[in-house]
Amino acid sequence: MKREGWFAPYVSSYFWRFLLIVLLGALTIFSASSLMYTSGFLISKASIPPENILMIYVPIVGVRAFGTSRAVIHYVERLVGHDTILRILSKMRQRLYRILEPQALFLSSRFRTGDILGMLADDIEYLQNVYLRTVFPAVIALILYAAAVIAIGTFDVRFAVLVGLYILVLVAVLPLVSLLLTQKRQREIKQERNRLYQKLTDAVLGMSDWMISGRQGQFVETYEADERAVARTDAALRRWARLRMFLGQTVIGIGVVSMIWWAGGEFAQGAIPGTLIAAFALVVFPVADAFLPISEAIEKIPQYRNSLERLASVEERPTELAAGGEKAGNTSYEGDSKLAEADGVDGGDSALSKAGGADGGESGSANLEQSEAGGVVGSDSSRAASDLSVANGQEGHSAHISLHNASYRYGEAGEWSVRDLALDIPQGAKIAIIGRSGAGKSTLLKMIQGAIAPTAGAVTINGRDAASYGDRIPSIISVLNQRPHLFDTTVANNIRLGDPDASEEDIAKAGALAKLGDLIACLPAGYDTRVREAGQRFSGGERQRIALARILLQNTPVVLLDEPTVGLDPRTERELLSTIFAAMEDKTLIWVTHHLVGAERMDEVIFMENGRVEMRGTHAELMASEPRYRRLYELDRPGYAAQRATSAN
Amino acid sequence: MDRNLLGYKGVRPVFLAVGFLTLVQSLSILLLATSLAEVISALFAGNPLKEQWGTALLFLLAFLVRHACGLLMSSISYRFAEKTGSAMRREMMDRLFRLGPRMAGDQGTGTLVTLVLEGVTKFRTYLELIIPRMVGMAVTPALLLVYVYTQDRMSGIILTLTMPIIIVFMILIGMTARKQMDRQLESYRTLSNHFVDSLRGLETLKFLGRSKDHSEAITEVSDRYRSATMRTLRVAFLSSFALDFFTMLSVASVAVSLGLRLVNGEMTLVTGLMILILAPEYFLPVRLVGADFHATLDGKEAGEAMKSIIDRETVKAVALEHSAPSSSEAVAGDEGRPEDLSGEEDTAYASSAAGKPGTNPSGGGNATGASGPDVSALPDSVFAWTDSSSLSLQGIGIRHEEDGPSSLEEISLQFTGTGTIGIIGESGAGKSTLIDVLAGFLHPSQGSIKINGYGVSALTDDTWRRQTSYIPQRPYIFSGTLADNVRFYYPEASLDAVAGAVAAAGLSPLADSLPDGLNEMIGGGGRSLSGGQEQRVALARALLSSRPIMLLDEPTAHLDIETEYELKETMLPLFEGKLVFLATHRLHWMSDMDVIIVMKQGRVAEVGTHQELLERKGTYYELVEAQLEGIH
Repeated sequence: MKREGWFAPYVSSYFWRFLLIVLLGALTIFSASSLMYTSGFLISKASIPPENILMIYVPIVGVRAFGTSRAVIHYVERLVGHDTILRILSKMRQRLYRILEPQALFLSSRFRTGDILGMLADDIEYLQNVYLRTVFPAVIALILYAAAVIAIGTFDVRFAVLVGLYILVLVAVLPLVSLLLTQKRQREIKQERNRLYQKLTDAVLGMSDWMISGRQGQFVETYEADERAVARTDAALRRWARLRMFLGQTVIGIGVVSMIWWAGGEFAQGAIPGTLIAAFALVVFPVADAFLPISEAIEKIPQYRNSLERLASVEERPTELAAGGEKAGNTSYEGDSKLAEADGVDGGDSALSKAGGADGGESGSANLEQSEAGGVVGSDSSRAASDLSVANGQEGHSAHISLHNASYRYGEAGEWSVRDLALDIPQGAKIAIIGRSGAGKSTLLKMIQGAIAPTAGAVTINGRDAASYGDRIPSIISVLNQRPHLFDTTVANNIRLGDPDASEEDIAKAGALAKLGDLIACLPAGYDTRVREAGQRFSGGERQRIALARILLQNTPVVLLDEPTVGLDPRTERELLSTIFAAMEDKTLIWVTHHLVGAERMDEVIFMENGRVEMRGTHAELMASEPRYRRLYELDRPGYAAQRATSAN
Repeated sequence: MDRNLLGYKGVRPVFLAVGFLTLVQSLSILLLATSLAEVISALFAGNPLKEQWGTALLFLLAFLVRHACGLLMSSISYRFAEKTGSAMRREMMDRLFRLGPRMAGDQGTGTLVTLVLEGVTKFRTYLELIIPRMVGMAVTPALLLVYVYTQDRMSGIILTLTMPIIIVFMILIGMTARKQMDRQLESYRTLSNHFVDSLRGLETLKFLGRSKDHSEAITEVSDRYRSATMRTLRVAFLSSFALDFFTMLSVASVAVSLGLRLVNGEMTLVTGLMILILAPEYFLPVRLVGADFHATLDGKEAGEAMKSIIDRETVKAVALEHSAPSSSEAVAGDEGRPEDLSGEEDTAYASSAAGKPGTNPSGGGNATGASGPDVSALPDSVFAWTDSSSLSLQGIGIRHEEDGPSSLEEISLQFTGTGTIGIIGESGAGKSTLIDVLAGFLHPSQGSIKINGYGVSALTDDTWRRQTSYIPQRPYIFSGTLADNVRFYYPEASLDAVAGAVAAAGLSPLADSLPDGLNEMIGGGGRSLSGGQEQRVALARALLSSRPIMLLDEPTAHLDIETEYELKETMLPLFEGKLVFLATHRLHWMSDMDVIIVMKQGRVAEVGTHQELLERKGTYYELVEAQLEGIH
């Protein structure tokens, strides 16, 4: 799917509406022009003796009709236009979502913050201007261009050619020159502004550091210098825009004079009645209104390109990921993209069905078809899915996770993120994983989730490759990470995401297990209180508890805890952990942690470094045998040694 | 329309110039209408083409003058808008960096950045449009109307009557649309944010296995959003409909009435044509105002938002009377009195550690703070910190909003010379607020401060800040080389000195592993650092500047325990010979501190050494005990 992928498909699927909009747009200008045309005709006609009101009855009706119709048609045009565009935006959003959805687990590592996601959403909003500001006006102008030349052509072909040339200057020459002249500057401005945005964001985030450094004046100075540079480029653009406007108006002025000269000549030769001189002269102004804005519309094109490119880049990445995955083995992502392509062939709704193809196996029969198209991976995944549903039905919730010397690296020559990791996690086991950033913890988690397949060795759940479970993983493994997202809806709805069929009672039960009771009691509408954007209403610890209730409802045999207590103060951390441990009694817990609080509750503590296991064992074993572990534990629990000493006495 | 408008610098000449040009423009419109009408009616009367060239050229000339005036006007107002916008941004930036991080946090980084970048652009557009539009509205229709009246009263009356109708309708419809918007604002906001919210929560949805199904929710909400938007637009577009409708109707009525009077022979064709040409021109200024209404409204609001930041008070530290009042009244700027401190200044200067970079007490101390005479009267040496300096806080309180809860209350503490001071407490206890007061980011709303024997109202002074280095949880790593980042406080430092600081902060392994070593780009545009490395960069910064006071705000809580351990090992020896304030909830730091301040609910609960506090069995003891209990 290339660049036009965000543009062309919508033209074909909304062809009739587009046609309607463009016709209405042309009619708007036509009414305005006709008003002036008939008015000119009317008063000329009225001035010819013998004066008789009946002679001008028809033009009077025409003037009144055109006078009122323009506003009505324009109103309808704008409504239809916006409605159509909003429909398209809705489809674009859906499409962007479906492109991003398979990459969900990799988004945070690909993009620095959630901001890029906001930017993509803005890009889509911005694309509505492609239609409203550029495409529609341009097409309308072309229609009127043709109409004007043909209308004059019926009187005089040679003059029609001249008018054609005048208008050509307005709709093609000026816009193209404009595009050529401004393209580079516009790009510069855009880039420079992005840089300024980055620079300023950094500086505001680091404001205290700037203040302490005493150099804030210096920062403002350099920032303003950059702004001045942008302003200079912008001023040059604006100068050109003004000049262009003036040139356009000059063409129109010359056009009016030419029109008078021609109409006068024709009248003198008796080719046209005198009443048309005024009509022709006056019609030029309103018609020109359709052509003047074209330069600006065309000039905007480079601005859309940025948005389109960003959207396209999001689309391209999955293939990259999939390519990486291919080397590593077969991932569900590769399967998805293949499915999507295979599905797209039978056309129809083109873009949407392409995206829609990535839907994975929702229903049994669709699943079978897709798995054939998708090759080995697809069939694997559907088999796993059906196996799993059987397994779920028969033996309830149980998952045995094994890592057999699993290794992973990104790309062929990359560093090993995880190396020869052997780990056996039977149902109900509780292990803690600790290590610095970059030690391979998140890679390990992704392998267990089946998001990436090991480059060497195997990661299995109940004897089957974890990667082959594909979209069924959430019924086996749930995740509580550092910043679980709370959606801008009620607390109850947020919890219900864990199980859409949950009743009010189930939610309250999960809430009670997560010790939400006191918090809920304080809320104005209990569980039906809205959490506000990103859960702003709540503190970090409270957000984690709501997220905890959610995964309790999800009720999976395995729970991954990915540093859920970072940023919480010790008391909140302890309380949250004790709630988690109490609620997860029978479940497998795989807990990536940055502190050792609670390590004694684990069956095994694993220290990772550079992708390898550095130390492992139970808390007691490590305390006994590893001085390094003792030292770190002491750091987390100061006074522990002293207390032990006193209690030993 | 805007009271502020006349207050901007250099706005009067712009108004004059634009007014003059508008006048010329209106006259040229009259000229082009009459000349065009004359040419047409002459041709219509059968006069030969040749004789009309003069008038035709006159028309063309008038037409070009009219648009040249437009060009000049937009050029003049653009230049004015650009200058005013830049000045305003400049002022706002200066103010922002004086108001400090608290205010930035309250407003939200994103909002501020958008305001600076996009708000200024919008504001500029507003300034650029508003002046010609206002003048155009005032001059052109009036002038044209007067002329039309002299030619034909009937047309004049029609045109006069239409204008108030248009304006009344536009206002009515605008109000209705606004009311409707307000009514569904909340649901509107939720709907419009839904998509971004979904994208941000995509990972969570995936974990929950709900991500596939959610795409249907997106479609559904998008459609609901569309219906809601269309409901609003149906009303909103009505205002431009009314504008269109009444102007067109008015032009049509003028044309018909002209026609009728021509038939009756009450008028000449040339007058009729001229009035017909003038009628749309009469409405043009109103239509332009209508078309730019939203742009100007946005810009005006952006301008007001910027102004509210610029007008925000920055309270400078002021000298208090020598016998510092112990009352808890904050002393207003004009009450502080300059004191003759010259004698003491000398001694203080002599004992200050001369030669230390960044601590030079006369180094342009109040560069940004020349706002009041009191401030300049405070000798810089007041804030200079030496081994024998002393600082005492007396009844310090911080209240962010009036009637709001205090984040600090009745803090009275004393510090002298060097030493390590741990500030501990649970989150919300006021640790960071205390650090902000000590760092000079916050002006206390109550209490007073005595430094080196002088009473001051706050530490918000550049000279004081230049005594301190600051290590927050997430130090600011800007886009630049590693060396430049380390040199942040002290840009003149040599590369050798940088290398020394880098080594002392334990960054050498990182520097060695980078292809370009110290010159490797880090931060936004380059390599990103881990949390531990960021802390070490901040540490190297602090070392290089050799400032006598170090402030650390929760430096290690977000790190994994091994990194934390190593960082602590690096940091502790570097605290030697400095006055160090370390705020944290990690208890292990405390046994290495000379003094511990235990904070609880905005107050100081206890002060003492680790051992003393344990023996007291107070708040600190409880914290330690709770930690030891482990998890049940």
